[in-house]
Amino acid sequence: MVKFETLRFGLLKVKEDGIITFPEGILGFPAVKRYVLIDHKGTILRWLQAVDNPDIAFIVVEPKTVSSEYTMKIDAFAREFLQIESEKDLIVLVIIRVDNGKIAANLHGPLLINTNNMKGIQLILERVLPPAS
Amino acid sequence: MLILTRKLDEGIKLGDDITIIIIEVHGKHVKLGIDAPQNVKIYRKEIYDKVMSENIRSATATVEDFKGIKEQFK
Repeated sequence: MVKFETLRFGLLKVKEDGIITFPEGILGFPAVKRYVLIDHKGTILRWLQAVDNPDIAFIVVEPKTVSSEYTMKIDAFAREFLQIESEKDLIVLVIIRVDNGKIAANLHGPLLINTNNMKGIQLILERVLPPAS
Repeated sequence: MLILTRKLDEGIKLGDDITIIIIEVHGKHVKLGIDAPQNVKIYRKEIYDKVMSENIRSATATVEDFKGIKEQFK
């Protein structure tokens, strides 16, 4: 078990294999590499909480729930980087920002997680369908 | 910042593996050709900057923010 303090949830204890490593970090936070996903009852929203920084946590959700026609292309670099063997192993999440109760989804920067090895990367997409505002 | 003047069809080398060529100049628009290894990530700067600034603004989301929108995500 790994124990760590968080700003929002107090002390968390998670199994080692529940930790997702973003070797490059998330853009803007290159030094913060380890995260956990926290589910909540009654919602498909989740928190992506940093293990090594108590303050950093993102609200995340699968992009199809925000934009039903959302499609993304996984480039060769990401395939190799995450050692993707099967697309079934992948979780795709987008970060949600809340601004005075309004929701903005970061569709240009989806997070891709390979549950097979618990490695993650943030992609930067030039084009998003349908166009993100 | 290093500033270089280049003409049409001239280029710049970044290290040994990356070449940038001026393909076309048309008014305010400049078309660049970039040759780089596959592991070099190339983005339009404004999209890179936008993803980064959105990340930074999103990382301070509060439990109240979450509670306020969770009903919309069942």
